[in-house]
Amino acid sequence: MAPAGFRLTRKEFIRWGLAAAAMAPWRQAPGSSVSSEEIVLGVSAAFSGPSRGLGTELYRGASAYFSRVNETGGIDGRRIVLKMYDDGYQPDPCVENTMKLMLEDEVFLLFGYVGTPTVTRVLPLLKKFQDENIFMFFPFTGAQPQRQPPYGDFAFNLRASYGQETAGLVNNFVRIGKERIAVFYQADAYGRSGWAGVRAALAAHGRQIAGEASYSRGAKFTGSMRRQVEILKAVAPDAVICIGAYAACAAFARDAVDLGLNAPIANLSFVGSENMVKLLTEGSGDPEPYTRLLVNSQVVPSYEDLELPAVREYRELMARYDPQVPPELIKEEYAPFRHSFGSLEGFLNAKLLAEILRRLGGEVDRGRLEDAVFSVKDFDLGVGERVSFGPGRRQGLQTVYYTVVEDGRFVPLQDWQGKFA
Amino acid sequence: MKIDKLFRRTRFGIFCVFAVIVVSTSALCLYTVDTQLSAEYEINSKNIAKTVADSSVDILLNRDMATLQSLVDQFIEIQGIRYIYITSETGEHLAHTFVPGIPEAILASDHRSTEPVERELPGLGNFVEVGSPILAGVAGTVHVGMDLDVVALKFQRAVGQQIYLVAGILLFGVLASIWLVNLAARPLGELLAYAVELARNRDEDALADREILKRDDEAGHLARLFLHVARNGPEPESLRAA
Repeated sequence: MAPAGFRLTRKEFIRWGLAAAAMAPWRQAPGSSVSSEEIVLGVSAAFSGPSRGLGTELYRGASAYFSRVNETGGIDGRRIVLKMYDDGYQPDPCVENTMKLMLEDEVFLLFGYVGTPTVTRVLPLLKKFQDENIFMFFPFTGAQPQRQPPYGDFAFNLRASYGQETAGLVNNFVRIGKERIAVFYQADAYGRSGWAGVRAALAAHGRQIAGEASYSRGAKFTGSMRRQVEILKAVAPDAVICIGAYAACAAFARDAVDLGLNAPIANLSFVGSENMVKLLTEGSGDPEPYTRLLVNSQVVPSYEDLELPAVREYRELMARYDPQVPPELIKEEYAPFRHSFGSLEGFLNAKLLAEILRRLGGEVDRGRLEDAVFSVKDFDLGVGERVSFGPGRRQGLQTVYYTVVEDGRFVPLQDWQGKFA
Repeated sequence: MKIDKLFRRTRFGIFCVFAVIVVSTSALCLYTVDTQLSAEYEINSKNIAKTVADSSVDILLNRDMATLQSLVDQFIEIQGIRYIYITSETGEHLAHTFVPGIPEAILASDHRSTEPVERELPGLGNFVEVGSPILAGVAGTVHVGMDLDVVALKFQRAVGQQIYLVAGILLFGVLASIWLVNLAARPLGELLAYAVELARNRDEDALADREILKRDDEAGHLARLFLHVARNGPEPESLRAA
């Protein structure tokens, strides 16, 4: 019973009760996904829909490395656990998943996100909750928004940017005399990011985009891209740079060949090279015409390059663990590749993140995360290029690799002149 | 005995008045819906164009095309907005929502124009396009296309609902007028039948206890007058002349 002169109304009682609960020692602190046993990382990626291969491959590579970390004692005794949601490569579900990861699951950090339209919409959330120090690590996109103000401070990137990929493609094409470059792109933030990269690279050569055609995100391989091919064919391009996902880009390459657009067709790393070639070669009597003029830029070295320690380790761990997407996330059938550029990227992402977590030195606190990242200087990831981070450098790798299809596999492109001139 | 001829014009008149009321009310209502709906969509489009233009300044100055496209893509989800495109100060299309490409009519249009303009884009439909300058036009212009087919569809839906309502009112009005006229005609019919019977049967006493004689209205008065005339004969010439 309240003492005389001190009576609580119902509202006051609830308010005092809530305040007491907030101060209670058993209340979960922000970032409570870190315990003495585990560190929970939040993932929202495409595990369903026409681009499910991207999320699946990226996850498989990351999971292979984290499995090894967990098997060998974890990070200072803590296992790495992935809290995963499927966004189907759609922005709205990705935003919902991120809210859930941040507010309900209270994950330590965000990791392994897939795509520009999704990541672009999530970045403002990170700014909104900047006091919580939630960072996004190594998203599978080379777009600019997470590399520059106002959101660049909330993300860390490992891969080279789309600007670097498109500049490399344009420079190589221009060098061999292919200056009329057209663009086929996804009608969203990803496509626009690549379009802007091509535009800037061509402007450096005093050129403009020769022609452009777009498609809607989520287009399937069974759909037609003939209209887009006709639009680009009308401008007689020397080469076409595609900024899309594998299903649409494969459909475009197929229709381009069928309609006689005989120009090199370049794709960015995001495309999902193995899935693209699989679509073009499956059920095709003679797949060679459809893959002959493809050139894909990559942001990781070839998984066939066994001279690289990271590639040997990747292949060994993929063989040992053969990670699969958790059954609850599987809505459509997908046959993963034994090795792929996507899974190698996921593997390298996980390897670097584990190193950063180790640098926290057992004091797993979000507030110390940025310093841990910035302490990475000349780190040998095992891919031939050393990784450094700092306040003005939030992207680890800078190298872009170029590959072409030979015997149904992607191999490094050594001679542009000989291949395309 | 039925009274048909006397109220034929009355019925027709009531029907005409109802029809005029219904048609004029409907026409005014539909005109209002059409103009209000079009105006509302146009205002919304202008507001959206202005919002995108205001939001685009920093993004354009930072040369972040992905964020610019992401911004545009969020607004395209609003009902009635079918396309958005942003042109630079030189007329270059920096972001847009067209698939598979930018229509020729738009490529050929004045990229600085912000006045509402009606467009028919082959394969896409009919639109009203409004524009809003970015940084007073020195950084470019935002253009928003409002789908006129959506407006037309809403208008058609409103017309359909109006027609159902009006037809119902008209039918109810006509039936009600017929019923009311019949209600008024019934005593007249009884009076006519009584007068005919009185003319045929000279036994007035036998006709003196009919119901109509008890009515306290004009039909009752007339019936009593007829009976009186039948009993007493026609009035003398001298009284008639007076």
